[in-house]
Amino acid sequence: MHKINRSVRLGGAIILNLKRGVWLFALAILLGSLSHTAAVASVDLSSGIRYVSDSGTLSDCSAKAKAALESYLPGATESSPGSGEWFAMGQNIATGAASSGATVRCYPLPKGYVVTFICAVQLPANPYPAHALCLNIAHKFYGGAITPLAAMPTATPVPTGCATTNLVGNWVSDTDPKLTFNMQLNGDLTDNEGVSGNWIIDGETVTLTYYGNHTLKLSPDGKHLSGPGYNLTRKC
Amino acid sequence: MTRISRCRIALLAVGLIVAFGSLCTRAPAALDMNVGVSKVVANQPVSACNASAKTALNSVLQNAVQLGGDTGEWLAFAAPDSANGSTAAAAIHCYPVGGSYLVTFTCAAQVPPSPDSAAALCTKLTAAFDSGAR
Repeated sequence: MHKINRSVRLGGAIILNLKRGVWLFALAILLGSLSHTAAVASVDLSSGIRYVSDSGTLSDCSAKAKAALESYLPGATESSPGSGEWFAMGQNIATGAASSGATVRCYPLPKGYVVTFICAVQLPANPYPAHALCLNIAHKFYGGAITPLAAMPTATPVPTGCATTNLVGNWVSDTDPKLTFNMQLNGDLTDNEGVSGNWIIDGETVTLTYYGNHTLKLSPDGKHLSGPGYNLTRKC
Repeated sequence: MTRISRCRIALLAVGLIVAFGSLCTRAPAALDMNVGVSKVVANQPVSACNASAKTALNSVLQNAVQLGGDTGEWLAFAAPDSANGSTAAAAIHCYPVGGSYLVTFTCAAQVPPSPDSAAALCTKLTAAFDSGAR
């Protein structure tokens, strides 16, 4: 009877723990998905700016259109030679993808020409709206106040191995110079014999997972790791 | 460590891999812009262009508006999706040229998630415009 009761209790405990495990699984998915929820992104299009010149030719307009576009976006091209339709795209360096574009169209008039400006940006990847871009291109074309546009974000430099704010690079044991570690950008580490582990840094506290977990401290100059079992020095 | 604890840790690890792994597979969205067709339609008033532009924009996108009143410059955006704002937009401009009109198409799309590239969007708009202009 005792054995049966024990089995029932054990079975209940297993079910309870499995339920907890499933909850943990769901929680992990939820936390993970929340952590990388994409910011609301959208296309912003600006149209409506036009300018009429009583003098000048289509080629005058084209030259100014190309120059105005290239003040903000690289490599303006004409859709077909002599069409007067100019187009250029700009890239968000941090994401490596196009985030802005503009087209300037010139049309000849019996006297002079008319020029129109249309711009599109992808928000929030682009740091300024389409209208701001179009206004500046138009003002560059026919004169007017130029408002500085927000700077395009630049790519985060890949740690070189000598940055003191992370552990990426090579480390040598102070007690055994043969023991070296290569800490990688993705949090992996490999020792001189090819044994792998992981590292995590939180402020000055470093957790090294290498034959167990070891909590070490990073020195203020970022060049030394010390703690129970391991004392390491960074090699740039 | 008990078998049950190992099971819990394994489930947690699988959950984290599933959740964070999906981040790595997401393609970066990029702006796509297209300078579409520009053409002169002979012997037609600009009002016909305006009517076709509005119809075309409303059939492919939504809520076409003429900028600043009677300018002949039309603009519309795609319906916002659940996760983003509008991921596509287009402008159709109509200009009178004597007794005819000039019409231009300009399109922009954020790909992904927009199912259409900017060029495909402009092609759809041109077809819709042409069918409305007949």
